Amino acid sequence: MRKTILEVKDLHYAYGNGKPALNGVSVNIHEGERIAVMGANGSGKSTFFLNLNGVFTPDRGEIVYRDTPVNKKNLNELRKNIGIVFQDADNQIIASTVLAEVGFGPMNLKLPKAEVLERVDEALEYMNILDFKDRAPHYLSGGEKKRVSIADIIAMRSEIIIFDEPMAALDPINASMLEEVLSKLGSEGKTMLISTHDVDFAYRWAERVLVFCQGKIIADGTPLEIFLNNEILRQANLKQPTLLEFYDLLVEKRILEDEEIYPKSMREFNEIL
Amino acid sequence: MHEPSGLPMILSFLRKGSETENVNNHDNGTNSIHHKIGHKHGEGFSIDFYAYNSRIRNWNSGFKVLFPILVLILCTVLDNPYVSTVIIAAMAYLTVIKGGLPVHEYLSIMSIPITFIVISVFAIAVDFSKQPVGQYNLYLGLGYMLTSQAMIKRAGFLILKVFAAVSALQMMALSTPSSEIISVLEKAHVPKIIVELMNIIYRYIFILTDLSINMKNSAESRQGYCDFKTSCYTFGNIAGNILVISLKKANAYYDAMEARCYDGDLVFLQEDKRVDRMQVALAAAFIAALFLIWGFTS
Repeated sequence: MRKTILEVKDLHYAYGNGKPALNGVSVNIHEGERIAVMGANGSGKSTFFLNLNGVFTPDRGEIVYRDTPVNKKNLNELRKNIGIVFQDADNQIIASTVLAEVGFGPMNLKLPKAEVLERVDEALEYMNILDFKDRAPHYLSGGEKKRVSIADIIAMRSEIIIFDEPMAALDPINASMLEEVLSKLGSEGKTMLISTHDVDFAYRWAERVLVFCQGKIIADGTPLEIFLNNEILRQANLKQPTLLEFYDLLVEKRILEDEEIYPKSMREFNEIL
Repeated sequence: MHEPSGLPMILSFLRKGSETENVNNHDNGTNSIHHKIGHKHGEGFSIDFYAYNSRIRNWNSGFKVLFPILVLILCTVLDNPYVSTVIIAAMAYLTVIKGGLPVHEYLSIMSIPITFIVISVFAIAVDFSKQPVGQYNLYLGLGYMLTSQAMIKRAGFLILKVFAAVSALQMMALSTPSSEIISVLEKAHVPKIIVELMNIIYRYIFILTDLSINMKNSAESRQGYCDFKTSCYTFGNIAGNILVISLKKANAYYDAMEARCYDGDLVFLQEDKRVDRMQVALAAAFIAALFLIWGFTS
């Protein structure tokens, strides 16, 4: 059994207008997990993330990080170890050069300048944007900004990285580049939470899926368990991944025998055929 | 956009076309229907753009800020046409030859201050009178517009002086991105609150400009500017909307900053660029030369 990093217990959070955004969320996150967070727009995913990171203080409930309950005093410890890549890079990028931008997090950790520079270089190299260093974020394209915003978090060396809809507004090339980065991070044992509406991506990438609906987690399981459960899909405004639909269709038409070995990629699908 | 010759990286970046939304937006800003006054509207951006791509950008920013300011002060204090001419030539050399800015772009940027200078100096160069006095006069129906050689000479010298001052500051603006100028101010102990505000405002200028361009385009596509009255309504709505969105964005920004351990103290990483002793020596020699010229000619 993998070690638990984060324990979330009965989290409640309501925005200023009194409408509850989180309504009793409990979940445990373990080391090295690849988690896809799904659910309709406004189901509480982003609010959940901002609570995890300590930006929002929950109305009720508790977050336990590595066996220590989070309170006001050790809040920075939590923020240091849980990084969020925001959906809109323009809401995240604050500095006027890429160097200063990626260095913003490490500078806030009060690290010595030499180490900050080393981390920035490492993060930029990781995202393959070392030559962007002196450029201004306002002259970068959407895909390039996204890479900078990911380098931001890599430079902080946080244990858990949260991506809020990272695929939104990326072209297919940039999206597949992002997927490569995600699998690279995964192979290095980073724990990742990704909110996404892309069922195909969640199906092939994640090892665990959390489904949010009206501020609650209504399902928590492997992608197969979730995507074969029509009731959950209907409740959460989701649909089946194309590959699963295909598989079902082929079984239904008796082209394929139902051995319940569901393919995860086109290659696996090809092997079955 | 004119192709700057020595900037292959930027060029390839620009050529990516559709992908580079941001750059395109700024171009649209200059050329779209609401900006027909020429390049004046985009000018602020193009200066910023050239500053980021200047070949002397890697020079120490403190040096690049102090030197032009010193030159500016000398130019005003010495008040000598020869000194002014030398300054104009030296600053053009630094910006165009050293900085790699195309001459065409340099002239186009300088043409704006020149227009202002010439118009305002005209008022100094001429006088009006009821009598036909002065060396040269021109009858205008109600009275005479008159001038003299001395006045023209004085106006000419004034143009040179102002132009030299402007080109010194343009040399700074065209080689030092605003973020670096702000960091120089920070080192000069300008109050922290002002420096932080400058940093955030600078970043926000681009975000809000993009926003307004997008809103304008979408209003345009829905006939939002079909006549004067509608245009006024649209303008008001866009202005109001920008206020609301900027407040929202400020919140989102704050969340994102907090998520990265921001604790009330805005510190940015700056790469230390060493002061080149040779440059300082040359700058000192240049200033000494200015004094010499002044000594010989006045």
